[in-house]
Amino acid sequence: MKKQLGFLVDTEKCIGCFTCAMACKNVYHQQKGIAWRQVHPMGESIYPHRERAWLSLACNHCENPVCLEQCPVKAYAKREDGIVVHDQDACIGCGNCVRSCPYGAPKMNPVEKRAEKCSMCWQRIDAGLDPACVHSCPVGALSIADISTARLDGWVQYPAGYPEPKRLNPSTRFKAPRQPREIRRNDA
Amino acid sequence: MNSMELPLVIFTVLSQGAVGLVALTAARQWAADGGGDLSPAPRTAWLTAMALLALGAFAALFHLGHMGGAVRTLANLESAWLSREGLALGATGALLLAGYLSPGLRARGAATAAAALGVAAVLVTSMTYAPAGFPALNNALPGVFFLLTAAVLGPALAAPFLPDAHQPVAMRALRAAMLVSLVINLVVPCVWLSGGTVMRLTGEAFLAAPLYWLRMALLAGSYALARGGRMPAWMLPLLVVQELLGRALFFMLPVHASVNIGNPF
Ligand code: SF4
Ligand code: SF4
Ligand code: SF4
Repeated sequence: MKKQLGFLVDTEKCIGCFTCAMACKNVYHQQKGIAWRQVHPMGESIYPHRERAWLSLACNHCENPVCLEQCPVKAYAKREDGIVVHDQDACIGCGNCVRSCPYGAPKMNPVEKRAEKCSMCWQRIDAGLDPACVHSCPVGALSIADISTARLDGWVQYPAGYPEPKRLNPSTRFKAPRQPREIRRNDA
Repeated sequence: MNSMELPLVIFTVLSQGAVGLVALTAARQWAADGGGDLSPAPRTAWLTAMALLALGAFAALFHLGHMGGAVRTLANLESAWLSREGLALGATGALLLAGYLSPGLRARGAATAAAALGVAAVLVTSMTYAPAGFPALNNALPGVFFLLTAAVLGPALAAPFLPDAHQPVAMRALRAAMLVSLVINLVVPCVWLSGGTVMRLTGEAFLAAPLYWLRMALLAGSYALARGGRMPAWMLPLLVVQELLGRALFFMLPVHASVNIGNPF
């Protein structure tokens, strides 16, 4: 496998504070209602506890990106490091990528009338910095790694509650949330 | 609920109606070459198909955020169905023009080629609207729906251009297409109910939508009243309205996979 940067999302550490989503919004000045990174609560049928668990998701920088495949004007490109970048100047706003991505990563900017999505902060990465969302997470639940070489024992590609369109081969990896231990009076 | 995508509703219904009309006209030109009657001449039918295709293509421009970039949509023929769709519909339009300009209007070859390419263009178009993000549509169903639109609107649009002797055949084709469309459009949402969560949500959205039932009632009513050997004049607008309604629901009601993130799939 070629070099492929991917997000590592540790749902055991994530506390659902939305700081990552806000950091992304602040850096890229996204329009009202648009968020390139979203923090999804896990439903009770997946995580049936009083405590909540969360999936912090942005673009998965897939190995076979359907956004890139279906864009009629080739506004998407995949870099050597696996990051899928979008050239907004080339985009004509057909909405094909928005409909095609099962993760809802590309969004239609209602003012520009062109698509946009997480760039994995490639400018920051090229400057040797972490992406803004990774940098901002107060509990270290987000990181990035080259998934072609990193040791990822204990990390899964398709946790419950995450679409599984295998042809895309999304690059994000997850650590499952810990199941809370029930403590009864007699256990204490 | 998604946006109605009105430009795409108009584009897909008109272009598929045009393909249906071309297919019927081509069949008639074959029949005439076998010694049948080719009066009145099918020139107006060709012209009508071209006008419908052009109007549909014009409407499609309005769904782009930046219409000026429409010419660039042919840039990704290697993998984007939207690029291939533009090429296939453009080629169909060119063949229609060739058929229209052919001397003697006995251009069986052009008619057959335009009809075959038109059907291929409908299937290519359907791939654009079978995106991975919508599990209920990420299969052959958009192709089935789109071909049914061509099959229903084709005879209905062709009827005014046919001689009296051909009216009963067109009426039989129309009734058969309406019946198949009715059955498939009733069965598909029920089948979706047995799929994964997102597919089931899509099936439930259809079955709970009053507009879906209105569309089914219009189609069933048209079928019940389509008696005799000639299409009544009121039927064409009714059929166009129910197809437009069906296509609007096709864009509005399917549930996107991302809506369900965090829940079982
Ligand atoms: S998650 Fe969606 S937008 Fe991101 S690379 Fe994959 S297909 Fe493209
Ligand atoms: S909206 Fe823009 S980036 Fe997305 S497929 Fe259309 S042209 Fe390409
Ligand atoms: S990597 Fe950058 S662009 Fe992507 S979600 Fe994080 S902050 Fe936003």
